[in-house]
Amino acid sequence: MRDLSIVYEGLDRVDGSARFGFGSTKSLSSVSGPIEVRPTLENPSQATLDIQIRPLAAIAGTDSKALSSTLKSIFAPALFLSHHPRTLVQIVGQALCGSESGSGLGSAGRGWNASLTASLVNATSAAFVNAGSVPMKGVVCAVSVGRLQSDGSRPATLILDPEEAELPRLAGSGCFAFLFSAVLATSPLSSAEVPPCSLLWTNYTTAAPFDVSELSAARGLAEKGAHEVWLKMKESVGYLDKSISPKVDVKTAVEESSTGMEVDDEKVEI
Amino acid sequence: MSLVLPGEQVPAQHVNLKLGPGLLHLPLASGQSAAVSTKAGEVKHSANRNKWWIEGNSRRYVPAPQESVIGVVVARSGESWRVDIGSAHTASLDGLAFEGATKRNRPNLKVGSLLYARVSLAHKDMEPELECFDAQTRKAEGFGELKGGFLVQCSLKMCRLLLDPKHFLFPLLGARFPLETAVGINGRVWINCKEPRQTIAVARCIEAVDPDGGGMDEVAIKKFLGTLDV
Repeated sequence: MRDLSIVYEGLDRVDGSARFGFGSTKSLSSVSGPIEVRPTLENPSQATLDIQIRPLAAIAGTDSKALSSTLKSIFAPALFLSHHPRTLVQIVGQALCGSESGSGLGSAGRGWNASLTASLVNATSAAFVNAGSVPMKGVVCAVSVGRLQSDGSRPATLILDPEEAELPRLAGSGCFAFLFSAVLATSPLSSAEVPPCSLLWTNYTTAAPFDVSELSAARGLAEKGAHEVWLKMKESVGYLDKSISPKVDVKTAVEESSTGMEVDDEKVEI
Repeated sequence: MSLVLPGEQVPAQHVNLKLGPGLLHLPLASGQSAAVSTKAGEVKHSANRNKWWIEGNSRRYVPAPQESVIGVVVARSGESWRVDIGSAHTASLDGLAFEGATKRNRPNLKVGSLLYARVSLAHKDMEPELECFDAQTRKAEGFGELKGGFLVQCSLKMCRLLLDPKHFLFPLLGARFPLETAVGINGRVWINCKEPRQTIAVARCIEAVDPDGGGMDEVAIKKFLGTLDV
């Protein structure tokens, strides 16, 4: 897996916000709630989830709407929405990278790839952890799994968290989202320090014919990756307060911005 | 310093167990039930281990009974007032919920006035209700309208820190100039000083010490105060 990074942004007018990255595949998510709800959206027995997804460039299109209904089905079982009836929990998610594969550019590109979707789910989980106002049943961790192109004779090679450069060589990929909570049943794969998990959602698709063993192998691989994401989130609780921010991330961000800018005053002719 | 994520089991066991904010007693898949955290933060417990809670920070206030809050009057509905306390629903304050108020002798509040009130009813299905007198003595005890002054917003943990008598900030500021403050547990602090620059200095110090926005300690605040002109 690539390097995981979690940064708690501390955006101004929302209750919680976080940036999550698998290497350079990053998303930003913000959460506000429980807040006042419009009477049309009001639900008398639980809080309403309102999710808005924005691509890096272009306006939000059909795939953003589809992704927001996906996130709603992922987070509704992970939160105690019945504790705050007639209120609104508003989530805004944003892709922070658009790449050669066209991901993150909305309907203009080739839609959201599995890694970007996984980073968006993790960013939203981290934003909920940062907000601390909506009670959570557990933390949702997501990873993407890819399947390399192969001939039919051997079982497919699965890779965890494919990089952007590897995406053209994949014959299939998908994002797996797990809920980690102490109330779930333990399985043979769970370890002592990580709570048991259960699969909430997946969109694993391949061009090859459907194979149950491949899907369960992909799921097992994704569960191991999700454990790593959970451990990273647990470590990030230590720097939830902005007074103790992770120094590594700040330094790399400064380096990136300073190398990216060019001084071209000489080139400008008046 | 035991930090937990939501959904982790907390070893809270006692005959007379009381679970505070951030903890719920939930049935596990194994058939037993245990205390499980519902928010991220540090697990804390009282000395005799019968009260357990999660100490975390957040910006959004969720009303709970018997908490002192600062509210802003937003509207009048009949005999009662609608007050914004920063929660999802506006709270309602009865016109007679003041010390010594009768039908003929009511306090004269206006839309936009600040109040220091106590949450008397906070239920998830109903809008919160406020009262401006102490529950036991039925006297004002500091509750009521806050005249003049300036309102500052901060995180909920900062308010709890300011309400702690052992915290360093207010004694440090009070030693330099006289000030009057009221701290609401809903993330709002009312400041009243003689000069505007003193009010601005207090507001900036609260923002600087806020764990959500820097979290300066005593030494850094003393240096910071030196740069301000108070």
